[in-house]
Amino acid sequence: MIGFFTENSADILLKTWEHFYISFSALLLGVVIAVPLGILLSKTKKIAKIVLTVTSVLQTVPSLALLAIMIPFLGVGKVPAIVALCIYSLLPILNNTFIGMQSVNQNIKAAGTAMGMTPMQSMRMVELPLAMPIIMSGIRLSAVYVISWATLASYIGAGGLGDFIFNGLNLYKTELIVGGALLVTALALLVDFLLSRFERFMIPKGLRMQGGRTS
Amino acid sequence: MKKLIVIFLVTILLSACSNEANDKIRIGSVVTTESQIIAYIVKGMLEYYTDEEVELINNLGSSVVLHQAMLNGDANISAVRYTGTDLTGTLKQEPISDPQKALAAVQRLFQDEFQMTFFDSYGFNNTYAFMVTQETAKQYGLEKISDLKDMASELQVGVDTSWMNREGDGYEGFVETYGFDFGRVFPMQIGLVYNAVSQNEVDVVLGYTTDGRIASYDLVVLEDDLQFFPPYDASPFADTDLLEEKPEVSKALQRLVGKISTEEMQRLNFLADNNLIEPAVVAEEFLKENEYFSGDDTP
Amino acid sequence: MTDMTQLSVVEQFFFYMRENGSYVFSQFLAHFQLSVYGVLLASVIGIPLGIWISKFPKASGPVITLANIIQTIPALALMAIIMLVLGLGKTTVIVTVFFYSLLPIVKNTFVGIRNIDRSLTDAGRGMGMTKFQILYMVELPLSLSVIITGIRIALVVAIGIVAIGAFIGAGGLGDIIIRGTNATSGTAIILAGALPTAIMAIMADVLLLWLEKRLDPTKRKKLRVAA
Repeated sequence: MIGFFTENSADILLKTWEHFYISFSALLLGVVIAVPLGILLSKTKKIAKIVLTVTSVLQTVPSLALLAIMIPFLGVGKVPAIVALCIYSLLPILNNTFIGMQSVNQNIKAAGTAMGMTPMQSMRMVELPLAMPIIMSGIRLSAVYVISWATLASYIGAGGLGDFIFNGLNLYKTELIVGGALLVTALALLVDFLLSRFERFMIPKGLRMQGGRTS
Repeated sequence: MKKLIVIFLVTILLSACSNEANDKIRIGSVVTTESQIIAYIVKGMLEYYTDEEVELINNLGSSVVLHQAMLNGDANISAVRYTGTDLTGTLKQEPISDPQKALAAVQRLFQDEFQMTFFDSYGFNNTYAFMVTQETAKQYGLEKISDLKDMASELQVGVDTSWMNREGDGYEGFVETYGFDFGRVFPMQIGLVYNAVSQNEVDVVLGYTTDGRIASYDLVVLEDDLQFFPPYDASPFADTDLLEEKPEVSKALQRLVGKISTEEMQRLNFLADNNLIEPAVVAEEFLKENEYFSGDDTP
Repeated sequence: MTDMTQLSVVEQFFFYMRENGSYVFSQFLAHFQLSVYGVLLASVIGIPLGIWISKFPKASGPVITLANIIQTIPALALMAIIMLVLGLGKTTVIVTVFFYSLLPIVKNTFVGIRNIDRSLTDAGRGMGMTKFQILYMVELPLSLSVIITGIRIALVVAIGIVAIGAFIGAGGLGDIIIRGTNATSGTAIILAGALPTAIMAIMADVLLLWLEKRLDPTKRKKLRVAA
């Protein structure tokens, strides 16, 4: 088993990087779309329900199906994988941003406006920081999902640690399967752990919540 | 009402448990269309002639996995095994170019080493072959591989990625036997070679003799005049124990021996690969057309 | 014979469905059956487990943490490992589904029972109910809706996992998806596999969501016995 790690060290580094790259790109794209959208929805509640339902439905779709559907439109490789994973990352972030913004205490917002803040300033200095714990929690959840499902992305040619598992399955090579599984699990757990630390760090000092997790 | 629900759920659960009884027949199949069609043909025959429960273990990645599945007991029948692949791959022997001798060798070795029965052939041979378009064949008068020798250095050839490094019957061996190599060789996914040659992206390709696309692109298969490529005769394959315990299974499989020619396999592959018909459906129609081969009642 | 390659994807899709309809349907059923078996197994073990840890909160930490860790493991990885032990085929898939269904079911059972207003269980005790009667007649009915949420989440995940199961020979709609990705112009086939899978997951979600709402005592307009 140690042999797996020593013989394939170059591949391991490459595929870990690929895996991370796909996941990070998908997550970044997801944050860029979902956070502003979530803020927007919290201000215009009418379409909120529809948008949230649509994203919820998209998340229900099994990931293999979603990845496969990308192929006719975007071919194979990293791009369709990133798009599919991005779609997957939307719901937790969107949902949490929406809820987070809504949960900001109205009195605090009012205090801000009373002090003469413009809506933008209110957003930047009051609402976002207060909503941040919940938003971060959503991002963390999405990140773990994405790292996990990126394993499957190797099936559509995106590379990543899933390659080890698929190659292992195709050639019935036990070390590839075990090695790949260990690596990808370690990566997922590591990211989960790091982000939970980061989450705590992001909470504004005046607001250390008991427990921390809100999702 | 609540009681009814509980009973209902428990019944489902119990049926789930009984489903895992190991008495079932499990047919292992690799991911190729051909293997899947044959797998469903075998399934259809077994369900028609016996009372056994038959299950498919499908989409296995390669012949290595299939062999492993048979060893583990995950499968007790292999949909289709090829003399060439098993001789050099699974049994790690030297390739044998005489089809009869190759068959005899695999039959003996599988029984001795693994207690598995390699039947006589279904009737088709799925081997590597060089192919060109009708126009190319006419233009240069190509009928056999040796005809390519004179213009070999100008040829662009598309081949299956794994063929480049195959031992024995790969590119190296080919160059040795035929005494020439090609101008440029493009490794690609095996599924893409047929399209590549028909679109004139390359001049010649190395494909499989039973692929349905040979007919759909009207390709010409060049004769292997120096008999470089070993035979890949396809046969049914099963655990000897299974066959002894359940002779009806053995008889049903025997009915299929010699019943599917290379051309017929091409046609079946074509229906699945080109005409979007699922292997399961192709198999069913094939069996119905042939009345499940009930005419021949001698095992 | 019409040249398939000349037809548009939509036409190919409908042609495919006409020719292979019953095959697709039988794979649909097989797929659903595998998902349900796994979730059912997880319920049979997970609900009692959730009840137990709700009574012994000290155990809840480790149990839920363990279930959380299982959840973080990518499904393909866990399935491949289980395959090395249990072999190829349906059994491995059902067991994999079982593992992934545990967290939602156990956690939701735990939360559902813990969140019940103390005064309600006290009232039960005051009436002379035994612990088992309280469980059966007060706690479970009140937490049923939350438990069903857990089952709903588990079932949706299960359908996704069974799709991957095709890679280890378990069949289901994943077989069709694999065939579509391997075929040279398999768009119609990919859709024929992916769409029913997506629809199955969405329908399971919608139906169980409806059931949840019907069973939630706080949301019911009229008091109806959960049928």
